[in-house]
Amino acid sequence: MRVLVVEDEKKTASFVRKALQAEGFAVDECHDGEAALAAAAATPFDVLVLDIMLPGRDGLSVLRQLRERKNTTPVLLLSARGEVNERVEGLNAGADDYLPKPFELVELVARVRALTRRSTENKSTTLRVADLTLDTLTHKAQRGGMTIELTTREYRLLEFLMRSAGRPCGRMMILEKVWDYDFDPGTNLVDVYIRRLREKIDEGFEPKLLYTVRGSGYVLKEAA
Amino acid sequence: MTIRARLTIWYAVIFSISLLIIGVSMYSELVVEQRDKMARHESRAVDNDAGKDITQIILLYGGTAVAIGVLGGWWLTRRALAPVMSLTEAVEKIHENNLGEKISRTGNGDELDRLTEVFNSMLARLDDSFHRIREFTLHASHELKTPLTVLRGETETALRENSLSPAEHDRAASQLDELHRLTRIVDGLTLLAKADAGQVALNLETVRLDELVRDNFADLQILAEPHGIKVVLDLCEEVSVRGDRHRLRQLLLNLADNAVKYNQPQGLVTMGLRCAGGLAEFTISNTGAGIPPEMLPRVFDRFYRGDAAHGNTVEGCGLGLSIAQWIVSAHGGKIQIASTPSQSTIVTVQLPTA
Repeated sequence: MRVLVVEDEKKTASFVRKALQAEGFAVDECHDGEAALAAAAATPFDVLVLDIMLPGRDGLSVLRQLRERKNTTPVLLLSARGEVNERVEGLNAGADDYLPKPFELVELVARVRALTRRSTENKSTTLRVADLTLDTLTHKAQRGGMTIELTTREYRLLEFLMRSAGRPCGRMMILEKVWDYDFDPGTNLVDVYIRRLREKIDEGFEPKLLYTVRGSGYVLKEAA
Repeated sequence: MTIRARLTIWYAVIFSISLLIIGVSMYSELVVEQRDKMARHESRAVDNDAGKDITQIILLYGGTAVAIGVLGGWWLTRRALAPVMSLTEAVEKIHENNLGEKISRTGNGDELDRLTEVFNSMLARLDDSFHRIREFTLHASHELKTPLTVLRGETETALRENSLSPAEHDRAASQLDELHRLTRIVDGLTLLAKADAGQVALNLETVRLDELVRDNFADLQILAEPHGIKVVLDLCEEVSVRGDRHRLRQLLLNLADNAVKYNQPQGLVTMGLRCAGGLAEFTISNTGAGIPPEMLPRVFDRFYRGDAAHGNTVEGCGLGLSIAQWIVSAHGGKIQIASTPSQSTIVTVQLPTA
């Protein structure tokens, strides 16, 4: 998996590159829009991480140019402005995801990974992680043959975590996908829900499946 | 007393005095001199009714003249002061968000036109200063984001690499917590600065407020549970408003979160949604320590926190209620807070129905 990081702020570009490399991605880095277009034309990348504010040609213009050239590489936009309108503008211009600065590294990595796996997402109606199963038609969860009662929100949270099984999910990403929030509510809503979910699916069962990722994220996976 | 009333009274007084002078001089001219002549000529043939006639004339015609004069004066002052009235009305409408609008001038170059011009140039200067302050806040919050991104990223990277000693790890983790807090403050500040500058567009649609409230109620129960706080939804009438779904959810969550944070353990939170007279009224009350009356008017102020009552035990960015207030007013509604210390605090939000 090869990722191009387009970010003019060198320190940011550097830790983004390190974080992605630590997750096993091959990472290229460039610092302005023209270089990004040249790099994207020369190499087929799996994901582009594109900052909106770039010297010269800005990120949105790079994105439009790419789409005009029929380049369909998934793009994750980064922005320091963090405006609701900007997000919509970015998605309309052909971006696949948008992350306002400052962001969590877990969040960034999770999103990049989600973009690489978008096409291979698990579409089946029965999700399974170890002996935990979730039927997406009947909303029924079972572990070790025992039925687990879930509220609507808990169900959606579990479905999201199971669909991204093995991949850490950032708190903002969870808020976005499960709650449909486009803002950081500044509450520990996600953590509280995760704690409840953990009580339901992990308490009294082995092995544990729901883990906290350092920084601020969660992952549902089979083994530590 | 208004200028107009004062001028009219003065006008009446001056008129009466001049009438008196005319009367006295007429009397002396006609009556006294006639009497002298008569005394000289010793003629008694002429009837001496002039004195009585003059009094009559003065009372009847002079009185009428005075009345007409005073009415005319009253009308004249009204005409003269009309531009002042319209100037007053125009100035009354000015607030921080429409400083850019000019007061319309008569253009006839008189004193009041000049006054309007001076007002307009003062408004332009104020508008400029306000604009600069807003720009400053907006730029400041943007400029803070890049270093914040780097700081957070590098702290996170340090935490990920397992090269830190346990003490270093704790320090880095605590720094990361503070960085999260700083991020929330900067985010809130950016939002408010943009709202002030009219740069936040609401994505308006017809929203079922009762559905949002029920949704919020479910989340609130979960948030309240760890503190042993009981949550009650006592009434939730079906009502739709015209609004931005995300911002309204942000508002509800914000108020719900406050109701838990400022509550006491084992306390109670009561929510309700009513529809009456074209208004959707959402109320949420908590049984926390409450807010002293002298602090109530300031709770919506940015960064204002009732620290005396709560100490620093409550986490938050100090902008929650300011943001809530902005969301409500952007939807054309009203938000109020009432509190009985050590009993309950109730927040009421009124929004026009769709």
